[in-house]
Order: sequence, then C-alpha cells, then structure tokens
Amino acid sequence: MNRISSIALASLLVVSLGAGAQTPGPAATAGSAARGKTTFFRVGCHQCHGGEAQGSPYSTAPKLGPAALPFAAFTLFTRKPRLQMPPYSPEILSDAELADIYAYVTSRAAPVALDKLPN
Amino acid sequence: MSQSDEVSKGRRSFLLQAAATGAGAAAAAATAAAAQAPTPPQGAASPGASPSASPSVSEVRSEGRPGSDYMVDVLKSLGFEYICANPGSSFRGLHESIINYGGNSRPELITCMHEESSVAMAHGYFKAEGTPLPVMAHGTVGIQHASMAVYNAWCDRVPVYLILGNTLDATMRQPGVEWVHSVQDAAALVRDFTKWDDSPVSLQHFGESAVRAYKMAMTPPSGPVVIVADTELQEQPIHSDRTLVIPKLTPPSPPQAESGAVTELARLLVEAEQPLFIADRLARTPAGLERLVELAELLQAGVVSTIPNLMPPVGAGRMNFPTRHPLNQTYRSNAAIAAADVIVGLEISNFFGATNIFIDQVERTTRPAIRPDAKLITLNSTDLIQKANYQDFQRYAAVNMALTGDGEATLPSLIEAVRRLLTDQRKSTFERRGKALAEASAAARERFRGDAALAWDASPITTARLAAEIWEQIRKEDWSLVSGGLSGWPVRLWDFTKHYQHLGVSGGSGIGYGAPAAIGAALANRKHGRLSVNIQNDGDLMYAPGVLWTAAHHRIPVLTIMNNNRAYHEEMMHVQRMSNRRNRGVDRAHIGNEIDNPGIDYAKLAQSMGWYAEGPISNPRDIGPALKRAIAVVKRGEPAMVDVMVQPR
Ligand code: HEC
Repeated sequence: MNRISSIALASLLVVSLGAGAQTPGPAATAGSAARGKTTFFRVGCHQCHGGEAQGSPYSTAPKLGPAALPFAAFTLFTRKPRLQMPPYSPEILSDAELADIYAYVTSRAAPVALDKLPN
Repeated sequence: MSQSDEVSKGRRSFLLQAAATGAGAAAAAATAAAAQAPTPPQGAASPGASPSASPSVSEVRSEGRPGSDYMVDVLKSLGFEYICANPGSSFRGLHESIINYGGNSRPELITCMHEESSVAMAHGYFKAEGTPLPVMAHGTVGIQHASMAVYNAWCDRVPVYLILGNTLDATMRQPGVEWVHSVQDAAALVRDFTKWDDSPVSLQHFGESAVRAYKMAMTPPSGPVVIVADTELQEQPIHSDRTLVIPKLTPPSPPQAESGAVTELARLLVEAEQPLFIADRLARTPAGLERLVELAELLQAGVVSTIPNLMPPVGAGRMNFPTRHPLNQTYRSNAAIAAADVIVGLEISNFFGATNIFIDQVERTTRPAIRPDAKLITLNSTDLIQKANYQDFQRYAAVNMALTGDGEATLPSLIEAVRRLLTDQRKSTFERRGKALAEASAAARERFRGDAALAWDASPITTARLAAEIWEQIRKEDWSLVSGGLSGWPVRLWDFTKHYQHLGVSGGSGIGYGAPAAIGAALANRKHGRLSVNIQNDGDLMYAPGVLWTAAHHRIPVLTIMNNNRAYHEEMMHVQRMSNRRNRGVDRAHIGNEIDNPGIDYAKLAQSMGWYAEGPISNPRDIGPALKRAIAVVKRGEPAMVDVMVQPR
C-alpha cells in the first residue's frame, strides 16, 4: 500500500546524473533496485542516510552502499538498530522490501576519484 | 552660530573622538592585556575622559534639549557602530536623536523588519566583531517578538544590548495604543535569560545604568542586558539646572581560575597518557584560538572542537582550533574520547553529553563514552551565570575537578604551569603521542573525503558536493562562514584557521537565527573586506525573510547559498521515530514537515527585495559558475543568493 502522495514522492526522488550510477552492484539478494528505490524513499531511509544512501555526518547515519554490510547483518541492523536509528519491524517493512532496499543501496555509484574534491 | 549650537557641536565632536578611542578600542585592549595583566591601565583613554575634565566624568550641558540627546551621547561614548530597530513610537524620541542630533553615525540606524531579526543581527555581529550592537524595541510587542532571539544569545553567551521603549507614568500615556504598548516591568519577560536589566527613572540614572549594562554584558560569562528608556525621559527637555555626566566605562578583566587548581590541572595534564581537550565556547577572541593551539602543541594533546554530529552539536559554539591541525581529533571524536585518560572540557555546558552516549529508543538510556578510569575536568565560567528556569545548563556532569573561571583568560597561566612541569622524558613521550594523533586525524580526514566523493553527481545535490563546490570558489578569498552547518561538511572539507571563519551555532537552537545572524556578521565583516558566506537553511529563512531587504537596503555584502531541502527534516526524523516505535509505518511523516507543494522560489523572494539571485539549481555542475557570478556581485558590495536543491542530509 503506497500512502505517500505522488507529488510529495516526486519532490523527494533522487535522479542520478552520473554515468556510472546505474551499474548494478553485487546481486546478494533477489531484490529489485528499482522497487527498492521507491521503498527507500517511502519508508524514509533517505531522511537520515541520504537519497543515494551516501550517509551523513549530521544525522550520524553512515553510508549504506555501494559497499554494504552482508545482507543478514543489514537486515539485523534494520530490525534492531544499535543506537539512534529507529527500528523497522517486519510489519512496517517486509523482508522482501528490505531485500529490494538492499539491491538499491548496493547498486549505487562508486565514489568519484578523490582528486575531484578541492583540497 | 548660537552659543548652544557651539556647545552642542563641540561636545558632539568630542564624543565622536571619545567613541573612536572608547569602549570598542578599550575592550579590545583589555582583552589583549587580560592575558598578561589583570589590572586595567589607570587613566587610559576612556569614553568620559577629556583633556580638561576629571578622568572619570565629562560634562554635558543641558539647555532645552531633549533627554534622548543625552542618551545618544551615552551610546556614542560606548562606541557602538550601529543600532538595529524596527521603528516604534515608544522610542521615537531616541530614534529622532540618533538620526538628527547624532548625525546617524556611530551608531548608524539599521532598519530591521522584525525584532527577532534585530537581535539575531546583533548576535551575529558580536561574534564577528567582538563588540556589542544595540537594539531598540518596544517594551511590550517588540521584546515579545525579540524574545526567542534573546534566548539564543543567552545560551550562546553573547552580549546583546537591548534598549526598550516604555511609558511608565500612566497619566502621560495617550489613550489607546500607548496603553497596550505600556508595561510595569518591561524586562520581566526576558529576565530569566538576560544577565541584567534596569528601568532608570532619571537621565543620570539612565547614563549610569547604560554604562553598567555594557560592562555587565561584556564581563565573561557574557550575556544579553536590557535598559528601559522611558518615553518621558526621552522626550522631556533636559532640566537646565542639572549637569549630566557620562560615567567612565572601565572594561573589566575576566575572572581566572584559582591558581592552585590551575597548577593541579597542569600536573594531571603533564602526567596523562592520553589527555584530550573538548572546547566549546572557549575562544571569545582570536587569542583564545592561539592559546589553545599553544597548549595542545606543548602537550601534543588531542583537541575536539565543533562536533557537529552530536545532537545537539557539542563544541560548535566558537572557532577554537584549526580544522586541519594534526592534533585536531574532531573527526574521530568518539575514538578520541573513548581513549582519553584525562578529558578537559573548556567552556562547555554539555560536558555530560560529550562524555556519555544517550540512546533515544523506547527506553531512553545512557552509557558512558569514556574509560572507567578517565579523569574528567571542567574549566568553565558558566557556573557564574546559571539561573533556574530555563535548562540550558544541561545535565549535571560528575567531574574530578571543576575550575571556575573564564577559559580563555585562564589558558595563559595553565600554559605557564605546564611549561614549569615539563621534563625531557615527558617531551619525548609527547612527541610520540603527537605523531600517532596526527596519523589518526589524517586517516579520519581521508575517510571523510572518501564519503564526500559518494553520490557526487546526484540530484538533488549532496550536502558534501555543495560544500566542496563552495570551497572551490572561496578558498583563495579572505572568507568567513557567518552561518550554516551544511550537515557538518564545511568543517570537514574546508581549511578553517582563523577565529572569524566559523561563528558557531545559535545557542538555543531557536530556528530563525541563521539569516539575520549571518547578515549581522556580514555587517561587521564589511569593513574588514571579508567575503561573508552564509549557508542558509530554507526553514530558517522563512521565519523572518524581511532581513533580506535589510541587507539590500544597507548594502551589506553577503553570499547566501540556499540549503534548499524542502522540509523540516530534523522534525521529520522525530516523527519517523515515533511512527516506527508505534509500528505504524513512516509513510506519512512528511505531513506537517515538508516545505513543498508549492516549493518556495527563494531566488524570486530575494530578487523581490533587491538581491541578485539565481536558482533553483539541481545539476551539481551548475553550482560553480553560479557561485562565481554571485561572488562578483558580493565583491561589488551587494548581497547575492544562489538557491541549490539539496538532499535531506
Ligand atoms: C532517523 C534516522 C534513520 C533512519 C530513518 C534510518 N536510519 Fe539507518 N541508521 C541511522 C543511524 C543513526 C545509524 C548508525 C547506528 C545507530 O545510531 O543506530 C544507522 C545505521 C544503519 C545501518 C548500519 C550500517 C553500518 O554500516 O553499520 C543500516 C544497515 C541501516 N541503518 C539501514 C537503514 C535502512 C534500510 C533504513 C530504512 C528502512 C534506515 N536505516 C533508516 C539512522 C537512520
């Protein structure tokens, strides 16, 4: 059931302009990255981890991909977080949806070369 | 020229001269001198001194002029450059005296569109300049508007100088609005979060209290003060049978911690294996930063300052330590705090939060973030100023030693005490420790650069990419980040070395601080030729966007980059937390939190108030060229905005 308004969702969607962004990551699960992206935004992972799962020092939410924890650890953490992250029970985020999210975060673009950053 | 004209003109030029060498200069001199000599110089240039008068007072003749002229003389003697106000009838007399009698110069009137903006401008101005900026407001509706900003200044230890108009004598009030704009005790509303106030009943009383208020505000721990300017005092002529004097201001020397405790702290630091400093509102002046660098280098000890990833941010109060200094352990603060055997909190209220981990789950729990044998020490002036009602003093931290005194003023004697205890053997241990800390901080920095390189081309643009793009454009300029944290990326990616490059946070986390504080700081930076950079949160700007007009009207150059993420994301996270906890899903957490549908066109908003503005920009490649164009405008002396669509975090 998708309860978010399509306008709100559209305003939050992240489109990657990078050429490498669509490169699929390691297929650790049978999840769908496209569905995972929608779920990632619908259940608000992006609020703390960023739309590209890039992490943020402000919310202390770490990057989730493209190199990710093994799926089992990823699931365990999402269900029973260690510190500040709100827990996601299977009632509000099913195992299948979590697998989709995993497919999304592991298929994010690799970081650019550090020399792109001004020193 | 009539005799009284002559008197007035002569006195005015004297006062202007006094102002130039007066409070501002004397305050700076006192701060510098405080490090070495606690006693202020006798007979030094003072606002009240004149070649012929006694050193403590100056005469002000009083022939038929209004009381507010004398008030202006007092304000001039204190060296104020500007005065902020949204106009109000309860200080019409003072307003008129400032612009006509005072020549609208020192202080020059800055037109504000909200009293909260006036106070926040004064707040930002002080942190860039080191001297207060007064604000005029109605004693009723004006201070009611201003009160949140006063609370921010209180929490941030900033001396905002408030002058409130009021008519105490009920028989003198015009029926109607003047009654609803009158109050028995105007300062009562903010007394819980101001340092001092008075409601003078004579002009001489006003003069003495105005000078006392300045002194109280500036004595560390600093804080806001209130002086009520009664309308009758402002508007009635000065009685010719009275001679008014302007009292001399002697800038106070700040309190230092007791010498025995300083020696004991030095011993602990020299003997420690992993000493660590956590600095928050330590560096009141550039000297504070220099002294902390000296102390850290002497001991080769780590420093944590400006930790933007703790909630609330710990140590983000002032620019205490260069961000790229090898001893800066901020980017690995958890590890540094966990490893330390002696932790010294310098002018930090939230020492408990810095040394414990608080977990906001269903059951709220706390566990220590430190070694069980770690010794905790505080050097704070905050204990000298606490009040009961508002809880900005934070949770009680059980420490091994609590030194009461101003941190910056105490550092020189602490440095001397450490020097006396140094041995060659300890020095070689320190050297090894310094090398290890330098390696650890360099590794942490590389990790952050790696994280910043993620999602580089994403749109909406990542906060890291925006910080990097801004840095690329400003790094060769004399820049000052006047407001805006941008998720903590600037302090990670930019090279902050100077005191004015980071002005810290609001204090009370009262939203609406960012835009006016930035413009107040930019006003101070203007004469120094600094490029003021404001990274502006969208929600913050919408509290009182009229301050954009103030910047355009007074030609205050500031580069504003909109951190446009279209929601109150902090609050969104809280609602998510509640929704998950109650197992209801977070799909609707945007309700009541988004600033969208319609999205706000900030460039148009700014343009409508006379700004150069571009955006919204959603392709990261467009940021650099837009910033270049905006910086060219700012260098011409005007404000400019670039609106950028960014990620939530
Ligand atoms: C309210 C903020 C918030 C939201 C929403 C959130 N997280 Fe987190 N997440 C965090 C924080 C903070 C951490 C760091 C550990 C902690 O504090 O619990 C974290 C850590 C993690 C980790 C561990 C990563 C590692 O390398 O250690 C995973 C996996 C994770 N989150 C997945 C998710 C997923 C999937 C979602 C959405 C279903 C989500 N998070 C939503 C804040 C959040």
